[in-house]
Amino acid sequence: MSTNLIDHAIPQEAATILPERITRFPFPFSADSYRYSTNIEPALKPVSTEAGGWGTRLLDIDEHYLQELGERAAVLQRDPSRLQVLPHMRPAVWDAITTLLPIMADEHPETMSFERKGDSCRWQNRLHNLDLEFTAGVDASLPAEPLLFLGSQIQDDIALLDQRENALWLDAGLVTFAADWSLGFDVGMKFLEVHGPVPRVHDEQIITRAQQFLMNLQPGEKYRRTNWTMTVGRRLDTSTETYPEWAQDRSAVVTDPALPDRLHLRVEVQHLIRLPHSGAILFLVRTHLLSLADIARVPAWRERLGRVLAELPPDMAGYKGISRYREAASAWLLAG
Amino acid sequence: MGPMSTPPSRTIYATFGAEAHSGAGPETGHQSGTEFRPDLAVGQASPDSLKRLKDVLNQAYVGVRLVIAGPSADILAARAAAAECGMVEEEMTLLHRVDGHRRVFCAHCRATTSMPEASAHEIGCSGCATVLSVSEHFSRRLAAHLGYAAHAEEAA
Amino acid sequence: MTATALLAGGLKLQVAEVTAQTPSITSITFTDPAGGPLPAYVPGSHLLVQCGDGVNAYSLTGSGRSPSDYSVSVLRVASGAGGSAAMHRLRAGDRVLVSRPRSAFTPMATARHHLLIAGGIGVTPMLSHARAAAEWGMAATMIYMYRPAEGAHVPELRELLDTRLVECTDRGSFRQALAEKLSSQRLGTHLYVCGPAAFMESVLASARELGWPETRLHSEPFGTPELDAGQPFRAKLTRSGIQVEIPAGVSLLEALEGADVGVPNMCRKGVCGECSVAVLRGTPQHRDLYLSEDQKASGRTMMCCVSRSLDQELELDL
Ligand code: HEM
Ligand code: FES
Repeated sequence: MSTNLIDHAIPQEAATILPERITRFPFPFSADSYRYSTNIEPALKPVSTEAGGWGTRLLDIDEHYLQELGERAAVLQRDPSRLQVLPHMRPAVWDAITTLLPIMADEHPETMSFERKGDSCRWQNRLHNLDLEFTAGVDASLPAEPLLFLGSQIQDDIALLDQRENALWLDAGLVTFAADWSLGFDVGMKFLEVHGPVPRVHDEQIITRAQQFLMNLQPGEKYRRTNWTMTVGRRLDTSTETYPEWAQDRSAVVTDPALPDRLHLRVEVQHLIRLPHSGAILFLVRTHLLSLADIARVPAWRERLGRVLAELPPDMAGYKGISRYREAASAWLLAG
Repeated sequence: MGPMSTPPSRTIYATFGAEAHSGAGPETGHQSGTEFRPDLAVGQASPDSLKRLKDVLNQAYVGVRLVIAGPSADILAARAAAAECGMVEEEMTLLHRVDGHRRVFCAHCRATTSMPEASAHEIGCSGCATVLSVSEHFSRRLAAHLGYAAHAEEAA
Repeated sequence: MTATALLAGGLKLQVAEVTAQTPSITSITFTDPAGGPLPAYVPGSHLLVQCGDGVNAYSLTGSGRSPSDYSVSVLRVASGAGGSAAMHRLRAGDRVLVSRPRSAFTPMATARHHLLIAGGIGVTPMLSHARAAAEWGMAATMIYMYRPAEGAHVPELRELLDTRLVECTDRGSFRQALAEKLSSQRLGTHLYVCGPAAFMESVLASARELGWPETRLHSEPFGTPELDAGQPFRAKLTRSGIQVEIPAGVSLLEALEGADVGVPNMCRKGVCGECSVAVLRGTPQHRDLYLSEDQKASGRTMMCCVSRSLDQELELDL
């Protein structure tokens, strides 16, 4: 198959032989430095990158589908607290189900279909060999707790926010692939409190603006943003709960000759949707991991990520948990 | 009991810690003469004392206000209990006595540990004995600060 | 506001049924001419309907969960702008243009109990709330004040709410029922009121007097949080040396793009700060969430995706 030799010999042709995990990767940087901003844009807008493009689907399904959903189930088995539904969020959960399944069927007609008559629904998902009839609003008609069920069909982590008292409240979620935070701890918080640990954004009014924007969304409106950090290994579960299991990798990777294969750029494509019936805000987080070795196969990405990592202010690097290895990573990328 | 038997616009006083009047009985109203008598006076925010607060609130009608006085850690736990009864922020007044005492929630084993002083940044978890780094991240529902393994990134 | 801008992205529906509720109130049911399902909506939502010369807002009376039709009930107002009379002339088979449902009167998800207070035609969004509460197994109580023989939807409400419906046809009994309900609600109850302005004001005033906090009080405002279409204006671009006309309902950003003047942009909603342009002359009408109050007051920058002009002409550094 493709070898590095070929990539280097004819870089112009590289794009044609790059694997999908690279061509479809949502590379998040458009400049050589990165700062927080209220980076919200309409959903479904196509984005082209130096390696290909992404963004035309709300629910992205890729070759990791079954494996990631298997991992989600295993995480939940070990730690059921990754699912949190405050009682008043039941209608919002159902709203998310009856909103997302038809979208997923529309976007993936070759493997999925959804039919609905009144409250009677039929959901078929050939990737799971699933043919399910259920009644919207009736928990017992699903094979699992409703949000667990939704989380078994889509790769995204899910959060639901209630709007009241002039604020948004994170009152339900199914989050197994968190980038160093804990849903079990955060559930029940206001949007501003959720973002308490993030540096800079409060002084810069970024989060208050985002909340205002979200509170003004009308039913059915869909937006998205990206967020990024780095992870050692293809580890999706970097929740605060399991921090002791993966924390040491952050120091160990610095001197590891395998750093380019072990270290991954972790990009979250986050969707923000006002649900039509409950009026809740649905927040979806789809996590993509790509190793530095893969990133380096796209010369523009190699250089830009190298520069971003070198330039990132210490408080942001510290918050993202990349301080120990970002210099090593940047040096490797820029040595190209 | 007719619906009008509890006048709607009334205030429930709950005091915690040293503020708790030893002599005050429950549900006795408040200002009598010069002596202040809270509706609920308890030492600490424990499951038992919070249940007593909830029992009072579950009997109350909209229009009621709640004043909670005492050490921050206790009254924040009381606020969470009141919110569970359907009380909103606008109906509660918190009178903090800042004594540095904090409750710390362990992200790894979910136990809550009492931390005597705010100046400490680390504490041993009462559940799993991990040394926890205590963050400023605070959950209003758990009425506790987030604690996570303090030295986990250092080489073993 | 132009009707076309408000109805952008709206639905072309067909009148399926017209039913007289009372001598002056008529219910009109709209369906998709192709027979398809309609978008779900939040209980208490309203539709903008283009009928006659104007666009009017009417509350939807269904629960909104998985609607196959949209129903509104319209009071004929003799003194009105004519919209209600035109609505009353609709017949089965007529086609109308309606907006997507807009939500401005959402039931509180955390409420333990909904206390619904309806005056006259104000019953329509309250009916929507009562239906949704029943579907989700939530407790709701309603006080419904109407003039004798002018009670719309009474049979449905009796069936939905049973003993939790209090009907009043005179002021005295309404005041008494209101006082009784306002002073006997368990914590966690939220109050919703819809009816004539004076009716709503007096209900809210009584609730406040009895200690109800603002958080628990919800009244129907038909004002939409969305931006209106705005006035037309002209932009003079000093560097490119051209002029661009911006009609009502078209954003400055869209007009610039139409004239092949690209401006970097992202959210197109006035929050991200990408689309700022420098203003050299004229006073911008700021409608964004990005600029600070000071920056807005200085008038030197504007977010061209949402902001417009207070003057007929703006000079921009483009
Ligand atoms: C609507 C639902 C949202 C939820 C539930 C959510 C949740 C979170 C959480 C849990 C974190 C980690 C905080 C921690 O360290 O404990 C975070 C980080 C962050 N969020 Fe959000 N967020 C949402 C939307 C947004 C939006 C709309 C913005 C727009 C600016 C935003 C900006 C950020 C930023 C800048 C960070 C820091 C990320 C980093 O440096 O790694 N979030 N968010
Ligand atoms: S495009 Fe985001 S503020 Fe205009």
